[in-house]
Amino acid sequence: MLGEERKTEETTLSQPVSGRLANPDIRDEFGLETIDMNMGPQHPAMHGLLRLILELDGETVVRCDPVMGYLHRSKEKISENRMYPAVIPITDRIDYMNNMAMEYGYCLAVEKLLDVEIPPRADAIRALMNEFSRIMSHIPSLGFLLLELGAFTPILYAFRERERIQSIMEEVTGARMMFHYIRLGGVKADLPEGMPEKMWEYIEGLENRLQPDFIDLIEGNEIFIARTRGVGKMSPEKAVEMGLTGVPLRCTGVEFDVRKHYPYGWYKNLDFDVVTDDAGDVEASYRCRIGEVRQSIRMIKQILENLPGGEVMGDTGRRIRPAEGDGIARVESARGEYAVHVVSDGSDTPYRVHYRTPCTVNMQLLQEIVPGHYLPDIMPIMGLIDPVSGAWDK
Amino acid sequence: MKGMGITLKHLFDKKVTRQYPEYKKETFERSRGLLTVDMDRCIACLQCMRICPDHCISIEQEKRDADGSGKAKPYAVGFVIDDSRCMYCSLCVEVCPVNCIYHTEEFEAQAYNRLELARQFGERPVDPTIDPKPAVKKKPKAAKQAPKKEAAA
Amino acid sequence: MQTVLNLLEAEPIRLFLSFGVILFLVLNLAGILTFAERKVAAYIQLRYGPNRVGPRGFLQPAADVVKLFTKENVSPQRSDLWIFLGAPIAMFLPAAAVWLVVPFAPRSVVADLNVGIVFFIALTSIGALGLIMAGYGSRSTFSLLGAMRGAAQMISYEVPLILSLLGVIMLAGSLSFQDVVNAQAGGFWNWYFLPQLPMFITFYIAGVAEARRVPFDLPEGESEIVGGFMVEYSGMTWGLIQASEFASMALVSAITATLFLGGWQPPFPFLDLGNFNWLWFAIKTALIIFTFQWIRWSLPRLRMDQLMDFGWKVLVPVCLIWLFVTAGAMLAFPSVF
Repeated sequence: MLGEERKTEETTLSQPVSGRLANPDIRDEFGLETIDMNMGPQHPAMHGLLRLILELDGETVVRCDPVMGYLHRSKEKISENRMYPAVIPITDRIDYMNNMAMEYGYCLAVEKLLDVEIPPRADAIRALMNEFSRIMSHIPSLGFLLLELGAFTPILYAFRERERIQSIMEEVTGARMMFHYIRLGGVKADLPEGMPEKMWEYIEGLENRLQPDFIDLIEGNEIFIARTRGVGKMSPEKAVEMGLTGVPLRCTGVEFDVRKHYPYGWYKNLDFDVVTDDAGDVEASYRCRIGEVRQSIRMIKQILENLPGGEVMGDTGRRIRPAEGDGIARVESARGEYAVHVVSDGSDTPYRVHYRTPCTVNMQLLQEIVPGHYLPDIMPIMGLIDPVSGAWDK
Repeated sequence: MKGMGITLKHLFDKKVTRQYPEYKKETFERSRGLLTVDMDRCIACLQCMRICPDHCISIEQEKRDADGSGKAKPYAVGFVIDDSRCMYCSLCVEVCPVNCIYHTEEFEAQAYNRLELARQFGERPVDPTIDPKPAVKKKPKAAKQAPKKEAAA
Repeated sequence: MQTVLNLLEAEPIRLFLSFGVILFLVLNLAGILTFAERKVAAYIQLRYGPNRVGPRGFLQPAADVVKLFTKENVSPQRSDLWIFLGAPIAMFLPAAAVWLVVPFAPRSVVADLNVGIVFFIALTSIGALGLIMAGYGSRSTFSLLGAMRGAAQMISYEVPLILSLLGVIMLAGSLSFQDVVNAQAGGFWNWYFLPQLPMFITFYIAGVAEARRVPFDLPEGESEIVGGFMVEYSGMTWGLIQASEFASMALVSAITATLFLGGWQPPFPFLDLGNFNWLWFAIKTALIIFTFQWIRWSLPRLRMDQLMDFGWKVLVPVCLIWLFVTAGAMLAFPSVF
C-alpha cells in the first residue's frame, strides 16, 4: 500500500508541471512553477498528526495528498492480547473526543456473541451518556473550526461547555475523558443520587447559552460566512461514492444516521430527526452540527423524562468467554458510522478486532475536494470533516 | 458584527478559570485517582495483577503464617504500583475480592524520574521494571482443535 | 553644566538623544502592550490572563523579555544570514522612527516637520521591506508565502491609507501634524472624524491592515502558515519582530487619534488641562488600541482574494468618492472652511 503510494507520487512528480497549474496558459509565458509544501505532521490546524503534501500554484492548491499513520498505536493488535473486558479502556483511546461511542460499539459487538440480556435502565443510561458525549464532541469542533479560521475566542467558550459536561461525566463515571463506563452487559454503575436533576439543569442552561455564545457569535459574523459559504462544496452523489458518513454526508442532503436507520439500544424508543442540509459546504456542516446538538438535547430530555428503573448490569458470568463466531456492531459516533468487528475463538481474548472509524474514510475527502481551493480553505475543510488523530490512525 | 457585542459582554462576565495550585478541582465519590493498597487486608490472590491491562501491578508472594492460625497462607511481601504505566481503568479495584485496592482522591502524580513513580507498599521492594506477566500465552484456534481431531480419529 | 545644556541644544545631538528616548519609550510601550493584549484577550475569553509575576502580573513583560534574551537565537542552516538577521531591525526601526513626528502635546514633538504626514507614509511603507526580507531570508515555504502575502497586502492597503489622509490634508491645508491638530481645536464637534467619517473608517481599516492585525493578519496566518514570515525566528529576533508589530499598532492608533480625533485637544473646551493635555492624547490612543484588541479577539481572518477585493473594490472607491465630495464642498462653500 505504502509502496504503491510512493510510486504514484513519483510518477505525478515526473509529469510535466504545466498540466497541473491553476492557470496553465500563463506558465509558458513566464516560466512559472509550482511549490511543493509539506504541511504537518506538526501543524496547529491538522487536528493531531497529519501530513499533507501540497503542491501550490501561488495560493491555489493543485494537489493535496494526506499521509496518515503518525499516531498509529496498533490498537487492533493490542486488543488481541487482552481479555475481553480489558479491551474497553483501549477503545476509549481511539476517538478521544467522543469516547462513549467507541466503548458502546465494542460492547455491542461482543454482546452479540455473549448471550446476555441488557437491562432497560442500562440501555437508557448508555444512550444518555452517548448523547452527552456527542455534545462534548460537537461543541468543541465548532470552536476548532473558528480557531482555524483565525478567531481564537469561540474555542474557549466551547471548552467551557466541555468542562462542565466533563464534571458531570466525572461524577457519573469517575473519569473526565477516558470513561470506561459502558461494560459488557450493562454499565459500570447506576447514576449517582440527584444526577438526573443536575443533568436536566445543565441541559436547560446549555439550550439558553447555545444561541448567544455560539450561533450569534459564529453566524452573526460576515467574515465567517464569507470564508465558509461555498467552500468544500460537494454533491451528494460524490459523498455517497466516497463512502462518507456522519456530518460530511448529511450536510450534502443525504439522510443517513445509524441511530435512525439501524437503531440499536435505547434509540428505538427515542423520537428525533436526522439533521440534513442541502448546501454541502462548510457552512452547511456547521449548521448540521448545531442541529445535532439540539437533537441531542432533545434526546437527553426524553431519556431523563422516562428513565426506566431496575438493574444496570446484566449477568455475564464471572469469566467472559464469548461463543465462537463473529460479532459486528455499528453505532453512530459524533464523526460518522463507527463499526466494530470482533472474531472470537472461544478463548479469553478476542481472535481479531477491527475498528472501522469514520475519520479514516472521511479523510479521503481532502484529496478530492481540496485541489482548486485556496490554501487557507484547507482549514475550514478540515473543520468540515472534523477528524480526530487517534481515530484515523487507531 | 453581532459577535463583537457578545465578546464585549463577556469582557465583564465572571471568569471561569480555576487558579490551579491554590484551587484544586472538586473530586467526586467515583473519581479515579491514584491507586492505593491496604496491605493489612490483602490476601495476595494476585487477581489485580492478572487483570491489569498495563501490567502496572507487581506482587511478590510468599507462604507465611501471618495471622498466627498455624496455617501458611499466601502473603504479599512486595507490592508495587507503577504509576507511569497505570491508566486508571479501575479494573483491579473491581476485581479485588477484599476491597483492599482502591482509588484515592489524589491526582497529582509527578516526579523527575520514572522510577519514582513506582510506589512500594510491601515490606520488601519489588523491581517495577520487570514485567509481572510476560505476554499472555495465546492458544491459536487451530492448535486447540488439533488434539481433538486426533482423538476422534 | 551650562556647556552640557548648550551641547544638548545643538541640533544633531538633540535629535539623537530624543531618538534614544523615543526608542526606549517604544520598546517599553511594546512590552506594556503585550501585557494589555493578553489581559484583554483573557478577559474576553473568561480567563484571568497573566497574574503570577509581580502584583496582578504587571511584571510579566519583564519576565518575557528576560526569557527572550536568554533564549538561543536559532537560524536555519540554509538561510541567508545577513538578510535573516537584518529583517527584524528593518521592521523595527521605521516603526520606531515615525514616533519622531507624532505630536504628544502642544510643542512637545521631536521634529515638527512641515511634511510630517509624508514622513509617516514613507516610513510605514518601508515596513513591508523588512517583511519581505524576513520571508525571503528564512528560506522556508511557509515564510515565503507569508512574505508574498504581506507584500501584496501592505502595498494594496497603502493606497486607501494615503487616499483617506487627503481629505484631512485638504481641510487642514497643511502636511504638518501640529497644524492638523491645531485646526481641530475647540471641542469634539470640530474634530475631523465627523466631516470625514467614511475617510476615518477607511483609515482605521487600512491601519489595521498596515499593522497586520486580525482580520488582516494574513502574513502571519497563525492557523494556516503557522506564523508566516516569522516562522523561523526565535529568541530576541522574534521579540524584535513582535515589538515592531506592537509599535506599529500603537503608531497607527496614535496617528488616527492625531488626524481624526483631535490629537491632544480636549473634547470640550472647559476640559483643557493645560500642560497635561497629553493625557487626552494618551486616552484617545489607548481607546483605539483597545478597539484593535477587541476586534482581534472576536473576528476570524479574511482570505487573500477577499482581502484584495475589499481593499480595491470597497475602500478605494469610497475614498475617491469622499475626496470629490470634500473638494466639491470646499469649492461650493468656501466661507465654511
